[in-house]
Amino acid sequence: MSDWNAMNDETFRVEVRTFFDNEFPQQYKFLPRRMRWQECRDWYQKLSKKGWLAPNWPREHGGMGLSPTKLLIYFEETERAGVGRMPDQGITMVGPTLIRFGNDAQRAFFLPKILAGEAIWCQGYSEPNAGSDLASLRTEAMLDGDDYVINGSKIWTSMAHDATHIYVLARSDKQAKKKQEGISFLLVDMKTPGITLRTIRNIAGHEEFCQVFFDNVRTPKKNLVGELHKGWTIAKGLLGFERLNIGSPRRPLQALEKLEALAKARGLLADAAFAERLTQLKLDLADLGSLYGRYVDRARRGEALGQDVSMLKVWSMDTYQRLSELLIEAAGEYGAIDGEVAMGDAHIDVLSPFYNSRPGTIYGGSNEIQRNILAKYVLNLPS
Amino acid sequence: MTMTTNKDNSHGAMLAQSVGDFVKRGADLPRVRALTQTHAEFDRAQWRQLAELGWLGVLAPESCGGLGLGLAEAAIVAEGLGRALTPEPYTAVAVLAARALEHSADTPLRDELLGGLASGECVPVVACHEQADDIAARRVATTAAPFEGGFRVNGNKQFVIGAAAADGYIVSAQTGAELQLLWVPRDAAGCNTGLIALADGRSYGAVTFRDVVVPREQVLVSGKTARAALDRALDHAAAIASAELVGVMKCAHEMSLDYMKTRVQFGKAIGSFQVLQHRAVDLYIQQELADAVLREVVSQLDAAPDDNTRALLVSRAKSRCAEAALAITRAAIQFHGAIGFTEDCDVGLYVKRAMTLSAWLGNGRAHRVRYALLAAKTEREAA
Repeated sequence: MSDWNAMNDETFRVEVRTFFDNEFPQQYKFLPRRMRWQECRDWYQKLSKKGWLAPNWPREHGGMGLSPTKLLIYFEETERAGVGRMPDQGITMVGPTLIRFGNDAQRAFFLPKILAGEAIWCQGYSEPNAGSDLASLRTEAMLDGDDYVINGSKIWTSMAHDATHIYVLARSDKQAKKKQEGISFLLVDMKTPGITLRTIRNIAGHEEFCQVFFDNVRTPKKNLVGELHKGWTIAKGLLGFERLNIGSPRRPLQALEKLEALAKARGLLADAAFAERLTQLKLDLADLGSLYGRYVDRARRGEALGQDVSMLKVWSMDTYQRLSELLIEAAGEYGAIDGEVAMGDAHIDVLSPFYNSRPGTIYGGSNEIQRNILAKYVLNLPS
Repeated sequence: MTMTTNKDNSHGAMLAQSVGDFVKRGADLPRVRALTQTHAEFDRAQWRQLAELGWLGVLAPESCGGLGLGLAEAAIVAEGLGRALTPEPYTAVAVLAARALEHSADTPLRDELLGGLASGECVPVVACHEQADDIAARRVATTAAPFEGGFRVNGNKQFVIGAAAADGYIVSAQTGAELQLLWVPRDAAGCNTGLIALADGRSYGAVTFRDVVVPREQVLVSGKTARAALDRALDHAAAIASAELVGVMKCAHEMSLDYMKTRVQFGKAIGSFQVLQHRAVDLYIQQELADAVLREVVSQLDAAPDDNTRALLVSRAKSRCAEAALAITRAAIQFHGAIGFTEDCDVGLYVKRAMTLSAWLGNGRAHRVRYALLAAKTEREAA
């Protein structure tokens, strides 16, 4: 396998661009929503065979181990080519979490399955009454023989209807003094009897998430990650990886691509006031890339990401929303139209970045919660 | 609600009462939610009801069966319909078309159209925009070429709200250097109406005219008077669209405030958190600024001393109301958390209506650009 990091940046960029342009299926380019598993399975396998599926994983576990600069190039080319978003939680969150917190048996079993597309993951965190206040979750897991028995329900579970596995935060000790104590982190096969799904449509009309119900669902003891009742630490560690992932410039880049295309089609770049606003947003994104690089380096060195990683998520999603809002504003009357709009030679879906960016300040811990976390960090407040 | 009216305050009070009753029914929400599937944005029975209430004829002269009231009264109706998310094209017909006809030449056709408009039996819609960000519809490539007995019309119109319901169009066209407004029945040979789906399930008409024969008696108004009639109608309609936006934003913000009082996280209502309180208050300030500028503008417009003053007033109102409605409805998603991002939540319906109303007849940005140009012109003239 090549050492991508030793490669000249431009050579690497050209190689990534050529591969994405030639190999990503034409009909799914610039899809206004997340890709469903049946749509992206072939592409997933293709990336996997090439060794490009997990750009963020260390090479020893089958990833590309990319440096921050190379990882940014990889993301920029992903968005430039209109490569869709796959059910990617195994790659962005579960893999890094198992590498850091799992045991050898769990890594040996699950990492190859993620790379092979045999294990597609979803996140069993939020509950109807435990959103921002995640630690008040009520789903429980009780040891019975060699299994944990799970009862309760999870909600806003993105792409659960495409997942083969779910990682679940559940209360294993109801007597614990603090609500953060007595929570365990469990891996569960979605085929286990007792799991049922209800799909939920999002504001754009897409079936993006589900409510997942657990009725006496048994998962073997070996699927406990870390120690019993100590799952909150792992949950937070995974949230760090999630914040690093959401905090990358990748999603805002999707909106920037469209905004630049629209500005060109409508001749807005000649307008100095508009050009200044566009530039401000481009620099917001460029500087995010610089800040992001620091945390990618930390992750590569195997260090804890720290609570301050929340900064990335706040700024990335905030920038994403501002880009999507300027896109609508710059579209004038076209900004009311649903789906692709023909403007000159360009065909631009003006509203999809808006819809796609809205949950970004809600999921993975709302931006309000991230700011609370950051306030404790910045002001050195007691937790 | 306080209001000043042109005639006497009892009209305003009676209207406010009947509008309040209409809004309380809440009958339009299920229909609006289904619009993306049904495309039933125009319900003839509901339209007849709006006519019977006198709302369609609120501006039309009494001699044509209207109430002959002013913009302050039209704004009361529009705010209520905005609250109720009524999809029927009230502002497009009862204000834009009514005003264009009112200032047309005194012909039997004009009286017939105004009478039909007020009684709900005829739905005339103005088709005048050809390009985006052209608030006053000055770029007119559509031509009306004279021939014996009338004119042949060729051209394309865009962003025509109400086209789904239109019985015919009030079309702007150039005959040499002279602008004319002509009446073209929807089913005239060579007139073709395409519908483009909008975010809120309503549609823009894209209307094409290919050698459409318009007899001389279907000319509504020509020359400078045509320009003046169209300018005034577009300005008044933008002001009343702002009133719809005020209704949309107030209802959305009420939903947010109610939710903040009932949703419990961390053991308390989320409305007890200062960060959300401040955000809610900032948006309330925007709502009140919007309401204040709207009331001031509609009370002054009917008697505006000149075109510049009128346009400046309208651009102030539309800019503020558009931005406030977008900010408030977008924040409503955030206040509601994940549930605000679902198709089932009413918040999304308000977000989408705010988007279409703010884009139509010039978005905030377009109105600020116009304001800057007109303010500079006013200063030059004063110097």
